[in-house]
Amino acid sequence: MDSIKLKGPVILDIAADPAAMFMVRALVGKISERIGFGADEVDKLVLAVDEACTNVIRHAYGDREDGRIILTFTLGRDCFEICIRDFGIGADPEGFRGRDLNQVRPGGLGIHFIKSGVDKMEYNVPADGGMVLKLVKFLPEQEKCKIEHTGQ
Amino acid sequence: MNIQVSERKPSVFVVSLAGDLDMSSSPQVRKILLPIFLKKVSHLIVDLTGVPYIDSSGIATFVEALQLARKGQVRFSLAGACKTVESIFDLAYLRTVFEMAPDVDRLIDGE
Repeated sequence: MDSIKLKGPVILDIAADPAAMFMVRALVGKISERIGFGADEVDKLVLAVDEACTNVIRHAYGDREDGRIILTFTLGRDCFEICIRDFGIGADPEGFRGRDLNQVRPGGLGIHFIKSGVDKMEYNVPADGGMVLKLVKFLPEQEKCKIEHTGQ
Repeated sequence: MNIQVSERKPSVFVVSLAGDLDMSSSPQVRKILLPIFLKKVSHLIVDLTGVPYIDSSGIATFVEALQLARKGQVRFSLAGACKTVESIFDLAYLRTVFEMAPDVDRLIDGE
């Protein structure tokens, strides 16, 4: 497959709507495949981004129907970075703990799925509200030298 | 999400799903799946052959169903999960918690 060429970040501004998440999954899957991640890693990354977005819908926006999520995909020299920006109520970072995986009960898996799919997860709370969650996945070694960076 | 319910043998129900099982479709599946435990049911099988993707809300629906099944002493099985779906159960450390079979017919024949 040809190496991926991006002149800049890819930005997806989308309604915070569960019914719209298939588009996010499709985009993450397609970019990740083109970057050269293996099938298993692509699946895990798609799941991670999907779970991060559904957390935003569920916790940051709650019952609000006018919420938006802005996803920014950036291909760096050695990593693929996905920033998920929301404008909802600032989520309590303490709430980012998953449940004990030895317990068999509904819920609490989202954060575990997010962490499993990426190498780094960071968040910050912008002054104008909401939250930015940054997910970072390091590139496969063999792909680093193939990726062309034009205009970055 | 397309959902079909059939009674393949007396008290053996199969719920066949087609489409992504995510936050938008899980409530619909839950609404159809869980009331089946109120019927005269000995074995409930969910056919996942047509499900290419599942997220934590889909898994939570099945965990809830499993809890009802255990409470009511009903056999609860998942059949036909693709590799992607299976790997998500693995990631949740739940693959061995559920009875998972390659296809529905194998489970029905074994009844």
